Amino acid sequence: MKQSSRILAAASVAVFAAAASPAALALDVEAAKDLAQQNNCKQCHALRKDKDGPSFLKTAEKYRGKANAVDEIVKHLTSGKKVKLADGSEENHKIVKTMPPNDLAQIKNLAEYVLSIQPK
Amino acid sequence: MTNVNPAQRGWWARLRRPSAKHSVLALAAGGFVAGIIFWGGFNTGMEATNTLEFCVSCHEMRDTVYQEYQYTIHYSNRTGVRAICSDCHVPKDWTHKLIRKIKASGEVWGKLTGSIDTKEKFEARRLTLAQHEWERMKARDSIECRNCHSFDAMSPELQKKTPYKKHMEAKAAGKSCIDCHQGIAHKLPKGYKKPGTEDEEE
Repeated sequence: MKQSSRILAAASVAVFAAAASPAALALDVEAAKDLAQQNNCKQCHALRKDKDGPSFLKTAEKYRGKANAVDEIVKHLTSGKKVKLADGSEENHKIVKTMPPNDLAQIKNLAEYVLSIQPK
Repeated sequence: MTNVNPAQRGWWARLRRPSAKHSVLALAAGGFVAGIIFWGGFNTGMEATNTLEFCVSCHEMRDTVYQEYQYTIHYSNRTGVRAICSDCHVPKDWTHKLIRKIKASGEVWGKLTGSIDTKEKFEARRLTLAQHEWERMKARDSIECRNCHSFDAMSPELQKKTPYKKHMEAKAAGKSCIDCHQGIAHKLPKGYKKPGTEDEEE
């Protein structure tokens, strides 16, 4: 009886720890979609089709599996680096704005969302 | 026929009775001064309802759109030029301003009935309210935006290539600002897809 209680307690702690880990808390799809919408990301990007910019899927496949994938995408979204458009021209990528400003957690969530896009 | 004492007549009859005491000049001067006072008072009162302080004096605006607006470029920017609520939502010319103010009196009814007196109620109605405003702006050819912005003043050297190209295409197509720019000073209503951002896979 004592042993089963211990197992139950350990299992509870494990479940709680898993739920509270950054990976489990990281992705809020609705919040990411909303941030993308507020920033007009879809003006140049689509989920699985290229527009003026690459699809989210293409970006996901480029970075997926890399240790610093989220950080790389966050850097892309916050630095305004030069990007090449579909017509060959170049311009600075829009810096993603958040409310409140510079909320890295929101931008990381968007990066996680982009990384989560899978082929159909 | 009996003579009625003028003092006993009705107020309308008294108003219509020619003055026996005052000259035409005195009456005209009095009317002129009264006109200035009335007109000045009326316009001062109307202008008072155009201030940012007035707009956010109700919690319905202060706790919702005003909070969002403070993070936008129309509130704070490099050059220190601020567009307040009335710059975008109230016409500048007197006639249209008056019409807008009369229509806005409907908002008083909304206040009394509490139609958006909680954040939840406001969010539930945000799309409808936003669409009303977008329609109004469209009908006015985005004149409130164009009080400050103009296609002709956009520099191909200073504006990014893609926006410049899109602005020139919009100009050629006879579009106005609100056709593409929504959610500039406030959040877009949840679930609303701006033209050009639709993604059938979502």
